[in-house]
Amino acid sequence: MNRNNFLIHIALAIVLILVAAFAGQLRRWQQEYKHRVRILPAEEKTRKAVTTAELGETETHTLTAPEVLVKFKPGVSESTIRAITERFHDRVEDSIEAVPGLDAIDDLDDADAVQTAAAYQALPEVEYAEPNYEISIDDFESNPVTPSDPRFSDQWALANDGQRGGTRGADISATTAWSVTTGDDDVVIAVLDSGVDYTHSDLEHNIWQRPDNVPEYVDDSTGPIQDLQGYNAIMNNADPMDENGHGTHCAGIIGAEGGNDIGITGVNWKVRIMPLKFMNRGGFGTTKDAIEAINYVIDRKNNGVNVRVISASWGSTNRSQALGDVIKKAGEAGILFVAAAGNASTDNDRHPHYPSSYDLPNVISVAALDRNDQLASFSNWGAKHVAIAAPGVEILSTWLGDEYKESSGTSMATPVVAGVAALIVAKEPRISVEELRKRIVTSVDKLDSLKSKVTSGGRINAAKAIGAH
Amino acid sequence: MSYSKEDVLSKARHDLARRLGVNERDVREGSVEETDFPDTSLGAGTEDEMSGQMLTRGWRIKLQANNQTYEYRADKNQVRLYNFKGNNFLL
Repeated sequence: MNRNNFLIHIALAIVLILVAAFAGQLRRWQQEYKHRVRILPAEEKTRKAVTTAELGETETHTLTAPEVLVKFKPGVSESTIRAITERFHDRVEDSIEAVPGLDAIDDLDDADAVQTAAAYQALPEVEYAEPNYEISIDDFESNPVTPSDPRFSDQWALANDGQRGGTRGADISATTAWSVTTGDDDVVIAVLDSGVDYTHSDLEHNIWQRPDNVPEYVDDSTGPIQDLQGYNAIMNNADPMDENGHGTHCAGIIGAEGGNDIGITGVNWKVRIMPLKFMNRGGFGTTKDAIEAINYVIDRKNNGVNVRVISASWGSTNRSQALGDVIKKAGEAGILFVAAAGNASTDNDRHPHYPSSYDLPNVISVAALDRNDQLASFSNWGAKHVAIAAPGVEILSTWLGDEYKESSGTSMATPVVAGVAALIVAKEPRISVEELRKRIVTSVDKLDSLKSKVTSGGRINAAKAIGAH
Repeated sequence: MSYSKEDVLSKARHDLARRLGVNERDVREGSVEETDFPDTSLGAGTEDEMSGQMLTRGWRIKLQANNQTYEYRADKNQVRLYNFKGNNFLL
């Protein structure tokens, strides 16, 4: 072989290797996005068809991945790590540069990932070790799930079959979403409102209770408050009972208990609603009390409560720097703030409405739609400052006195979005507040009626938001 | 307690008479109209007041006194003097 031929063959070989490597990467990408979100130890990759009969779920896992993630303590050398992994007949497959000392380790014996992680955890050189959980997104063959709640057929926002002159499909695709998750009682949503009727039979099982391991709330100026199930910022006490009905209505939209053969269902069948009262019997309150209540939520989060969303179905045209500051703090604590765009039929880009118009990364402003996917006549809009739209006209939900009532407003659209946020968190507990907001606004159903009206240009879609199609 | 139409009309007349310093007999009823307001402050929220963004069924009440017309807004929970700066509500 002459020198030129030799070089050509070498070049061809390199090209073939690159093509093969790229094809392999494509295949991995394809696999990542073809699998719906499930979390299982990666070593269970060959198990097939785990079925949740009640929801009609099926799943198949096919992937290759290291079995455990191990974080070695600072100062443990690479040679020590190599010696440890060789002793276990493992190998370091990858080091995670962003977290010094964190390695993805492949167990060459394909031992149980949980046991392997435990073996590493027992070592003095190891800070922590955990199974490498698979997170993937499947093409989901959805089996819509319908709850047993007798008035579900009146809940067009969740499943619009054209009832009462509506448009079939002009809904949030809740029944498809529920084939993936109906919520999780580990997820807490704060309903910052006129309080909640926590005795309502369709809500009582979904009301947050302060766990024993979370200390009672201590107000800096007045001392400890035995907050058993929320907070009343007007009276600065532990009783957030609703006297108006507005907060109870919003709470039911988020999380009226589903499948209990009573009344309605919320976007979440199960969730934990943290009742907060800052609006009085008339349905209005002060900025100062709203701030106090948000401060309470942040405090509870910092004390270990998994509160991930504040639903805020209220507002005014007055801008308060202090309110903006405390909402920003909530964002820094990992809490999404979902806010009503307002009911003045005006453009929020020209006439801001607060708190929905705060330009903060954890704020989502919500406009209201009717049952025909049209912007509600009363709803504010804003191509820059209103993020998304959701059903908000003739919404049936819980009311005072164990009753139910239809109401309209961006107040009603807001808890729909907050509820979908909770579904996402139920499915992906580790999602950040930034990712959560992004997921919500990028998974909408685009509507002509919302062009130049809301930033996302669409109506929230619960199924798309959690990866069920 | 839930107010009726008669309750809120009576409260509005009493409130206006008190504010103007006139006898309640000198406050005349113009009209009472049932309507929807844009929020729980009945579209008459004051500064530093946050209100629920829910359409609220209530009454628009026009009262006349001292040759002027005053608008009150009311629902089953409250009575408000519209277009007035300061404390404008009764619970």
